[in-house]
Amino acid sequence: MHVIETQNLYKEYTQKFSKQKVNALNDFTFNVEQGEIFGLLGPNGAGKTTLIKILLAITFPTNGSAKLFGTDVRNYKAKTKVGYLPENHKFPSYLTGEQVLSYYGQLSGMKAGADMTKRIDEMLGLMNLTQWRKTKIKKYSKGMMQKLGLAQSMLSDPDLIFLDEPTDGVDPIGRKEIRDILAQIKSRGKTIFLNSHLLSEVEMICDRVAILNKGDLIKEGNVDDLTKAENIFAVHTVEPISMEIKQKVLAVDANAGIGEKEINTETGTASLNKIIDVLRNCNINILSVNQKTNTLEELFINVIKKDNTN
Amino acid sequence: MLTIIQNTFREALAKKIFIGYYIFYAIVILIMIFLVNMDSVEGVMSLADSKMLVQQVETGFLTISWNLIIFFSLISTASFIPSMLEKGTIDLLISKPISRPMILFSKFLGAVLFVFLSMVFLLGSMWLILSLKSGYWDPMFLLSILWITLAFATMYSIVVIIGLTTQSTVVAILVNFFLIFVLCPLLSTREGVVFTLVSNETVKFIFDFLYYLLPKPGEFRDIATSMINGDQINMWKSTANAETGLFTVSCFRQLALFCLCLLLWRILYFTFPKKITNNNYQ
Ligand SMILES: Nc1ncnc2c1ncn2[C@@H]1O[C@H](COP(=O)(O)OP(=O)(O)OP(=O)(O)O)[C@@H](O)[C@H]1O
Ligand SMILES: [Mg+2]
Repeated sequence: MHVIETQNLYKEYTQKFSKQKVNALNDFTFNVEQGEIFGLLGPNGAGKTTLIKILLAITFPTNGSAKLFGTDVRNYKAKTKVGYLPENHKFPSYLTGEQVLSYYGQLSGMKAGADMTKRIDEMLGLMNLTQWRKTKIKKYSKGMMQKLGLAQSMLSDPDLIFLDEPTDGVDPIGRKEIRDILAQIKSRGKTIFLNSHLLSEVEMICDRVAILNKGDLIKEGNVDDLTKAENIFAVHTVEPISMEIKQKVLAVDANAGIGEKEINTETGTASLNKIIDVLRNCNINILSVNQKTNTLEELFINVIKKDNTN
Repeated sequence: MLTIIQNTFREALAKKIFIGYYIFYAIVILIMIFLVNMDSVEGVMSLADSKMLVQQVETGFLTISWNLIIFFSLISTASFIPSMLEKGTIDLLISKPISRPMILFSKFLGAVLFVFLSMVFLLGSMWLILSLKSGYWDPMFLLSILWITLAFATMYSIVVIIGLTTQSTVVAILVNFFLIFVLCPLLSTREGVVFTLVSNETVKFIFDFLYYLLPKPGEFRDIATSMINGDQINMWKSTANAETGLFTVSCFRQLALFCLCLLLWRILYFTFPKKITNNNYQ
């Protein structure tokens, strides 16, 4: 059984007073398995939040269907073991941090009592909010609200957590802590679905990502596979490369890109070593040899650019 | 469900407007104490006299403040629905394993219960003071707590409907103000006032139609005052009073009105999810 399962999701927003239609999702099909951290990436307005809302039956798809734990999302019981951190969430401002957690905990089906109080203590401690627990949340800073929201989403120990930009507004130390917490949740077999713009972060914590652009799923796969180092190397030299040496290099690798003190090759280690041999034979000192890896960011930008020009 | 009701209470208490509301109550109660004191100074009254007096004070108070109390209560609770529908709040609520009708219904019930308790406080303490001072104990006045809560619930259904469709507290309050203080008095005196000015049958029909259709907080008041006075009330049939053109209290019709609200309410059950999808706070 898949934790999340969607079938040809299609979502169209119609503006109230105009005929204009926004196509927020286009024939979207994918699955998420238990124990995964799944990252959904995409530029602003790609439809990421829309997808989460459909999965939680906050909004309804124009077409297609979605299931959580094998139950159709339109059945509210499907949400029993689910936690959610909305983007720009708003809690009732007259509550204290503690009360917010107890309110939403009870709405998630927790029973008020010693167990819940203990769990609230634990979550507040985890988020470094213990000293703020009795403070009304209208006095919270943005990052503190975000942490409280995260605590709220994890409070009832759900099997599946949706996080819409979880680290938005959180400082670097807090972000690191959140990553650690997510990794720990994952190690207990829970599934996490997150939306984010912070690609370096996604790269660090996600197992699998999907890239969404204008409602289309344009790339999906394991983070490792997607960012795997392609056979691109850069050799930097101490001395400038003369015309003569340039010819010799081009003889072993016709496609090599040669600059004043730099040679780029895209044909793998074999030709890299041949180039190094040539250089060393000519008494050129090598400053450094770098293997280029595609960061998720580069991949993201390339893929989106390509998709937008098509 | 209890959780939402509890939170509605918290929200209600967090609203500054309730402080004003309770100060108003406290003043009313103080005035009552003052008045009753003055009366008893004048000498020992016979039981029949004090009964008369108590009935007069009670009905007098209800007649004057009924609409005001309801309107006050409406103002203080009108923002519940729009504030629940705010982007970022409703998303989280719906993501919880609770059905949508339940969320809405709990909010409604929370507001009604809150007003009910306020009324227990206001009318209950008034009754206690009056009874203690006069020695005349009549539980009929306590029933008014129920009637005024019902009248509130009827009007609050309208607030909910407007809140759901426009997400605006102000519009909801304005519409209710118009209903309570303009339309309802106009409609209930239509035969005496409006019909002498217009003779058009269609207009008359529209007025009659509206009169029967719209919820009227005043009818519950009439029930309440009649019961206090021990008047005969016909619970099941409305009987026209030829002289004033007003209708005698008819609990039945009011019940029918309430059912109408429940019906609207039911329709809302089904439009509620749709409303949320269509609006921009998605
Ligand atoms: N309630 C709505 N009514 C009309 N259009 C909407 C509504 N909500 C979203 N949209 C449109 O749907 C598209 C996708 O929006 P969505 O919020 O899913 O984007 P996103 O990927 O979450 O963006 P971001 O990264 O900025 O959060 C956008 O073009 C947006 O304008
Ligand atoms: Mg978004």
